[in-house]
Amino acid sequence: MYDVLIIGSGITGACISREMSKYQAKTIIIEKENDVAQKATLANSAIVHSGHDPIPGTLKAKFNILGNRMYKQMSEELDIPLMECGGLVVATTLEEEKTLDMLYARAFENGLKKSEVKLLTKDEVKEKEPNISDHVTKALSLPSTSVTYPLEAAIANIENAMNNGVELATNEEVISIVKNKEHFEVFTKRNKYEAKVVINASGINAENISKMIAKTNFTISPRKGEYYVLDKDVTLVNSVIYPTPSEKGKGVLVTPQYHGNTLLGPTSEFVENDTESTTKKGLDYIKVNIEKTVTNIPYNKIIRSFAGSRPTPSTKDFIIEESNIKGFINVAGIESPGLTAAPAIARYVVEGIVANNIDLVENKNFNPYRKKVIRMNELSDEEKNELYKRDSRFANIICRCESITEGEIIEAIHRNCGATTVTGVKNRVRAGAGRCQGGFCQPEVLKILARELKIDPMEVLYSKKDSAILKAKTKGE
Amino acid sequence: MKNYDVVIIGGGSAGLAAALEVNKNGVKNILVIERDQELGGILLQCIHNGFGLKVFKEELTGPEYAERFVNMLKEEGIEFKLNSMVTKINKDKTVEYANSDEGFIQIQAKAIIITTGCYERNAGAISIPGNRPSGVLTAGTAQKYLNIDGYLVGKKVFILGSGDIGLIMARRMTLEGAEVIGVAEILPFSGGLQRNIVQCLEDYNIPLYLSHTVTEIIGKDKIEGIKVQKVDNFVPVPNTEMEFEVDALLLSVGLIPENGISEAAGIELHPRTKGPIVNESYQTNIEGVFACGNALHVHDLVDFVTTESRKAGEKAAKYVKGEYKDNVERINLVAKNGISYIVPQMVSSENVDKTIELFMRVTDVYKNVEFVIKQDGKELKRIKKKHLAPAEMEKVILTKSQIEGANKEITIEVEAL
Repeated sequence: MYDVLIIGSGITGACISREMSKYQAKTIIIEKENDVAQKATLANSAIVHSGHDPIPGTLKAKFNILGNRMYKQMSEELDIPLMECGGLVVATTLEEEKTLDMLYARAFENGLKKSEVKLLTKDEVKEKEPNISDHVTKALSLPSTSVTYPLEAAIANIENAMNNGVELATNEEVISIVKNKEHFEVFTKRNKYEAKVVINASGINAENISKMIAKTNFTISPRKGEYYVLDKDVTLVNSVIYPTPSEKGKGVLVTPQYHGNTLLGPTSEFVENDTESTTKKGLDYIKVNIEKTVTNIPYNKIIRSFAGSRPTPSTKDFIIEESNIKGFINVAGIESPGLTAAPAIARYVVEGIVANNIDLVENKNFNPYRKKVIRMNELSDEEKNELYKRDSRFANIICRCESITEGEIIEAIHRNCGATTVTGVKNRVRAGAGRCQGGFCQPEVLKILARELKIDPMEVLYSKKDSAILKAKTKGE
Repeated sequence: MKNYDVVIIGGGSAGLAAALEVNKNGVKNILVIERDQELGGILLQCIHNGFGLKVFKEELTGPEYAERFVNMLKEEGIEFKLNSMVTKINKDKTVEYANSDEGFIQIQAKAIIITTGCYERNAGAISIPGNRPSGVLTAGTAQKYLNIDGYLVGKKVFILGSGDIGLIMARRMTLEGAEVIGVAEILPFSGGLQRNIVQCLEDYNIPLYLSHTVTEIIGKDKIEGIKVQKVDNFVPVPNTEMEFEVDALLLSVGLIPENGISEAAGIELHPRTKGPIVNESYQTNIEGVFACGNALHVHDLVDFVTTESRKAGEKAAKYVKGEYKDNVERINLVAKNGISYIVPQMVSSENVDKTIELFMRVTDVYKNVEFVIKQDGKELKRIKKKHLAPAEMEKVILTKSQIEGANKEITIEVEAL
């Protein structure tokens, strides 16, 4: 019997799991996919928003500000990439300038400090951002905007939670939930789990999961966002460039990424099933709209495009509440600024809702620190050779575009919440994330996975459940 | 720090030929750094024949071609390191590399030759709409899985792009029992050599769809099918969709010279070749740093790589011996109408013995045309050409005196007869 069962291992579930690991409670996260954080957390703009945008008084506004203030400490404790690059909301018309003035006032209303908001003239913008479009007339500068690496943020939270006693079960798709007198029975396709408290953090599936047991007054609609990724040798912008928001949302952004790439996007389109597929229409939309804010975009430096879907709630605000069924907690509709808000949401869910259901006793052995991830590219030559002396595989470079070593790949496989697929390796240590997109290193990564996981090369998956790369053997043993 | 006269980055066809030529020219303190576990580069996975017709006057397989050079290298006692990745080259000609025998090492070179080869344009770069399932691979990666590791990546395969590796793989996978449904090429002409169209597609009844492309990838976890559509000037034509069930899509949509470390060192690249801008001696804009082979521009035959790399090796040796003149007037070699690029991009007659070979590609398919070569706008000579295609590299030879006759530039263009 678990005290708490969390459905979903996106950034929300991940942060809740770590928050739970601060207490002596038996907690498990169950995840439908074969790796954690494969949906909205994997495919988004990676921005830790300042909190200037949500409507004052909403949960979005409240948890955005709180979350933003928690990120730095979280990133230090868990060794999560964080680039404090700032953001600029740019206006190109008089109308948009008025919206900027409104956002300026709203930022303070939401609780940003004087030092965290500033209006810039065209010249000031141009000085900060040489590639800004000439159409831009004014900007709202938001220095507390940062960029993180969302997947690693989720992995780091889960890994730390696991080191502190939380369990993780992947490939567990929930098919029904029932409540017996005192506890829940959560049935997956393969198992049955019993828990006193169930937290529904299942992203775009949250409506369906909630409906399995609780009265559900909200709907969740997947709203797809498509992106282009530019090669890391391009420095297009120094900070996050937001267009002036409209009723359609935050618009098409230009976002520098922690690892040096630049993201163009997202689009915003409600979809039924095709939640992760890019479309010609969407990708063209990016190109047309991006030019309003940024110029000199080197389209020949595109190395990838991708899409993901945000779980957009009918309520227009985060849904963070205990349902009509005691102990069944919905944490749903966590779309933007959910990545930013997640650590604050998690604290509130555990201290404010879980605590009303079970007794939370402090876990005295809780270690807030995650063992540092070895990132060879960030080390000095001396440090690199230190590691090499400890394990020579840290000098065997497998991914040439990103200079990722065998040692780093092996670590990514064997840590808690480790990689089990080629894409899992790529998403954790960036082997295959460079310009050749794994053309050279994929066969090597595949061999390392087979060896370390003690499986046949034919069983190594590209990413999802049924995605083996090798289809037949041609040579005899 | 260990010192070398010449450090060669990459032990593939270009690096091996360059190293041997440096050695032949009397410079013996050489190091070849190879990232793979064997010398030979991509030749090792090219187990088909057709290599060496020009250099050896016989038909060899890729591994056989490589072996000849590797044997010569060993006979000459030229030093090489395997499983070693160069991570950085610097303007002062220090080279940083790593391997699991030595760790992270820095060495000093008098001259560097960049022979890092090229990489394949991939699904990311061409942004085919749809999901990103397994089963979408570049033809070269599939070739490595098949010819080196012994695995097929698909049994029902479609190939996008008619580059040579794709054509070779169409035949290779057919021979291994896979069904190759077709090859689509977005251009109205093939990107591969004519002999490969005949020997790899026509001989096996594999259809080549010219002016067609893949407009959608079907399948979420693994690829299940593709939509292929006719294109008119790159725009898909409505109502021409064909749907094919596949378990793999191979991409053969172009090769790009690999210049990550060159760019980081400040080496200037040419926008068309995507390789370094070089002079008649294959020297880049950094003195003492040379480039050749597919890292310089993508070749269609390894024999051409060998020829070019021998010249670069000879020049690098001359540089080390102080026989190369860097500080001399140079004229530009300019690609005009119908010519995509010319390598080298500039030339000084001072470093040319008798003649110099210029390599170029045309921008389109042409029949019965002439190359018109001009010195500073004044016509120098015309060369008749029956057939020209972007896939086939062209060569023009200029004499020392023809170069001396120009003050500013020599241009080459295509003119209809």
